[in-house]
Amino acid sequence: MGYSSSLIQRKFKDIVGRRYDSVLKDYSEFLLTDEEMLVPEVRTILVPLDLFVHDITDEAIDVLSAYDATISLAYITDAEVIELLEQALDRESTEEFRTKKEEYGRKLLERTAARLEEHGFSTQTRMFVGHKGDDVVRMAKNHDMVALCRRYADGESTDASVSPIVLRICQRVETPALIY
Amino acid sequence: MMEAVALIAVAVFLFTYALIIDERIHRAVAAMLGAAIVVFVGIVPWEALLEHVDFGTIFLLIGMMIIVNTARGSGLFEYIAIRTAKLAGGSPIRVLVLFAIVTAIVSAFLDNVTTVLLLTPMLLYVARVMNLNPIPFLVTEIFASNIGGAATLIGDPPNIMIASSAGLTFNEFIIHLGPIMIVDMAILLLMMYVIYGRSMRVSPDERQEMVRTLNGLDERAAITDRSLFNKSVAVIAFVVLLFFVHDRIGEILHVVLPFVDPAMGLEPAQVALIGAAILLFWSRQSPEEIFEKIEWPALFFFGGLFVIVGALVETGIISSIAAVMIENVGSTGEAMFIVTWFAAIASAIVDNIPLTAAMIPLIHDLGATMDVYPLWWSLALGACLGGNGTAIGASANVVVIGIAEREGIGITFIDFLKVGMLVLFVTVAVGFGMLWLKFAM
Repeated sequence: MGYSSSLIQRKFKDIVGRRYDSVLKDYSEFLLTDEEMLVPEVRTILVPLDLFVHDITDEAIDVLSAYDATISLAYITDAEVIELLEQALDRESTEEFRTKKEEYGRKLLERTAARLEEHGFSTQTRMFVGHKGDDVVRMAKNHDMVALCRRYADGESTDASVSPIVLRICQRVETPALIY
Repeated sequence: MMEAVALIAVAVFLFTYALIIDERIHRAVAAMLGAAIVVFVGIVPWEALLEHVDFGTIFLLIGMMIIVNTARGSGLFEYIAIRTAKLAGGSPIRVLVLFAIVTAIVSAFLDNVTTVLLLTPMLLYVARVMNLNPIPFLVTEIFASNIGGAATLIGDPPNIMIASSAGLTFNEFIIHLGPIMIVDMAILLLMMYVIYGRSMRVSPDERQEMVRTLNGLDERAAITDRSLFNKSVAVIAFVVLLFFVHDRIGEILHVVLPFVDPAMGLEPAQVALIGAAILLFWSRQSPEEIFEKIEWPALFFFGGLFVIVGALVETGIISSIAAVMIENVGSTGEAMFIVTWFAAIASAIVDNIPLTAAMIPLIHDLGATMDVYPLWWSLALGACLGGNGTAIGASANVVVIGIAEREGIGITFIDFLKVGMLVLFVTVAVGFGMLWLKFAM
């Protein structure tokens, strides 16, 4: 440190005292740090869908559009439900249920993908029977972010609470999670 | 015997000022030590000490410190900083101009150190968002703070000291220095545009990114106490209004309160203390906490300086220098020229507060043979704008450059000197020209 620099620091200390630290503390409550200012690199975003997720909200699309990422839409039918139906109903009825579910899932995937593509996203779609929690956690490892509807794997409740499965997924995934 | 005490007074003065420039010892301690020596050896006896310490300056500073520190707790300054950044709308030039104007206006009414201390972090943040070199913004902020502060009686410590000692009013400062500072601000902005304009170009994407980031800031979130915020704004507005009429407050009060003497006026220090009392009472802030925030070292620094300079007065050194000046100066214009340029250049070296403390008694002594009224404005002009010359010329410079260094942005002494001296010479020359036309033509 040269003389002029140490001179400035001495004078600064004498004139300002500890006031600068308190100013910085006040500002830190609403200014982003350098680290926070860096937009993380997000190339793929996993968006799980199911019977209870009818759409992606405009607000969620706005947030997702901050990233130049491919959206992977995954429609998951609960394997346990299929198993229970197979035990309770005859094979034909189960097959009919599965066909109807797949039809619904395909239409939802197509509709959602089309809507996202309108907003400039590239999309991939996938549909399978599995576990709505564990499979999302597993798939999230291959994605940079996961966006979850608060109703995912929940039901048709009308309040604004977040589904327990969504909360559990958020606790387990290592990638950033967005709840919409 | 007289020569011995004069030598001691001069030695203490020079030694203390050297310590202040070097700052290895806290400036307040250096000033107190110097004062202690001249008091101990009897150069400044107790009765004279009370005369030399300018309590008008000290009480005005205390009053304004209470107001500013109380207002600070409301988030007022952060609110102003965020609003300014948002108003710029992603244009670097607009950021530079708006921050310079806001800094100048706030500095004109509140102290420069607090102003730059609270605006600089926001300015650095904006520069970082724009991915631009922050140095042009920071140096412009320094110059704007010193120019804005020069415009009013309460804007800069040299003006407070001059007004208190010479009995000048708030409106006289506005009339004589206000127009000069408006012209100087316009010139400063033009100069900064010419010097730094090219380096401030950003792509449309960067501009959009900046707008998006800044729009994400909520200025209302900066207000930590809405009630205190409103009361602070109201009291600051009231105090500024009172400053405008402080010398004829009796005339105004007499209309509604007939027992008030129409000839009564309030000293600026009284106005500041009245404002401080109202804000403390109204806001119900803890007085212990607010009084703890008063910058006591600064006040003792001023007190010590007054005593050390008082020693020069007591020993006749100041009157000897005044006599030499009187012998060699032929006209008011010539005296204005010497005072302005000496104050400007010496301020850049010594720091404008100790320089002003030493110059005030000299101008009082010159008053025995010439009209010194124009010289007060020359001193105010030179001392305030001279502070722009070097990195240590004024407290605002030290604060901004100190913050920049802490954030890893180096503004070297020489880099600042190159721009600072240019700004000093241009702004002082313009200001001197305007004062000359007013008083010496």
